[in-house]
Amino acid sequence: MQSLGCGGAAIGPVTHMTSGGRVYICCSPDRRVGVSTTARLLTDYRLLKGERVAGFDTDPHEPSYGVHFPGLVKAVNTADIRDQISLFDTLLGEDSAPKIVDVWSRAYGRFFETVREIGFFEEARDRKVMTILFYHANTTESALNGARELHRSWPEIRLVIVHNEGAAQLGAKARDILAHYPAGGKLVIPELHAPVNKTLEDASLSLANFLHAPPPSMSIVVRAALKAWLTPIVTQLNSFELRLAMESGLFSN
Amino acid sequence: MTRKPTKDMSRVTSQKKPVIVEEDDEAVAARALKAPIPRMEKNMKPSVILVGADKGGVGKTTVARALLDYLATNNIITRAFDTEYPRGTLHRFHPQETTIVDLQSTSDQMRILDTLNTAQVKVSVIDIRAGGLLLAMQALEDTGFLDAVAAGDFDFLIYHVLGPSIASLEEIDEIAPYVQDGQYYLVKNHVNDTTFFEWDPITHRRYFEKVETAGEITIPKLNEMAYEQVEIAATPFSTFVADRTAEGEPAGHSFVLRGYVRTWLHKIADEFDRVGLLTQLAPRSGTRQAKALK
Repeated sequence: MQSLGCGGAAIGPVTHMTSGGRVYICCSPDRRVGVSTTARLLTDYRLLKGERVAGFDTDPHEPSYGVHFPGLVKAVNTADIRDQISLFDTLLGEDSAPKIVDVWSRAYGRFFETVREIGFFEEARDRKVMTILFYHANTTESALNGARELHRSWPEIRLVIVHNEGAAQLGAKARDILAHYPAGGKLVIPELHAPVNKTLEDASLSLANFLHAPPPSMSIVVRAALKAWLTPIVTQLNSFELRLAMESGLFSN
Repeated sequence: MTRKPTKDMSRVTSQKKPVIVEEDDEAVAARALKAPIPRMEKNMKPSVILVGADKGGVGKTTVARALLDYLATNNIITRAFDTEYPRGTLHRFHPQETTIVDLQSTSDQMRILDTLNTAQVKVSVIDIRAGGLLLAMQALEDTGFLDAVAAGDFDFLIYHVLGPSIASLEEIDEIAPYVQDGQYYLVKNHVNDTTFFEWDPITHRRYFEKVETAGEITIPKLNEMAYEQVEIAATPFSTFVADRTAEGEPAGHSFVLRGYVRTWLHKIADEFDRVGLLTQLAPRSGTRQAKALK
């Protein structure tokens, strides 16, 4: 399985997108496996790079992703046709700013059913919009089956398997479990100790701003732990983006 | 993946100028697989497809529109007659190929029936006004058309769009004597979330299982907002899906709504394929339709 942070030959689908935006879809059919954390990290990563981002939180009741980015992330109800239009039409829009979607576990089935019915991935391909699924692994059969079903339905879509070591502990057999997932990449989010993890819940904490300049009021211990946690994640995302850029021919004539 | 320009025939038939669209190899192969029926030969038997319903609001014109789209997509040049005289309803969506007529008027009867053999277009779709199916069948009998069908001069397909009421089902009995020599289909239109007594086996058996039909066609439900937007656009369904106005200009329709309509049209096309409509209109050996029926 190709790691985002490793070198070596790329496996999985090779895209040749030379223009158009990117859509990152964070998902899992199971709850509490770190989906919103990944969406948040992807958003902060883009903000760290000085880019504009548009985010969508599909939990209209408790948008745990959107709460960290007021004004940037929109809560949508995937059961409502107007919100579907607001979501999918924007994802395919001409605005090339990256789009990040946090698919609530309860909306998972409906979300991909809608994707299938309206031909979203096919249209995205035709419009040269790169779509990447950040699918969260855990120990359940449903998680593995979900990944296989996505890969079977849309084999050309890059499927990055996310292992959040804190939210979805795979134990000693982690390597074996992950090996069964069809993957065009892997993202590992290390476990964060509970006191430091609590800091993340603060809706006003911007991880992008933290990396620029940590709040002076923050505990030195927490500051160090948070930075140690974020650094390998940013490194993996840097490698991932570089690989995508090379595959899309951005550096070719 | 190479892209090849091609004309979208559905838009050629319904708009003033053809629009060149690009197709990738897969789309071209898919169209080739459908083995489009060649231009009608002079000695080909003309076909008449009647779309009618007992009451208004059951989606009869929707079915007629979907039918015209399907035929256009399969390169069947078609003419249509809208009997909602004088304003018309079908005509609003397919103005290029639709003529508004009064089926009770002798001159309009001549316009339709007398030209069946002489018109270059061999497939005629007649959208019967709501509540006028029985009258239309009587008119066709009086003009000798049904005798001509019995004699094998024309192919006659009747798409009877049902409503959810017992009165609608009772019309099946009334129509039965007139459809014996035609291909009679019961069309269940679920566009409005309608049920057809599937939940009541006795009623279902009483009406659906005692009449001899060529088959049933199910029109699935289409999202209400998508349907409404096509209504507002006043274009063929396929033109809406292609995000074009009636004049061929970019329309700016929602991708989500276009996607729903596209999937809905595919499901309807599957139904028409299943009942072998193309083979009925232009029977020939070795077609994909003929193979599908085996």
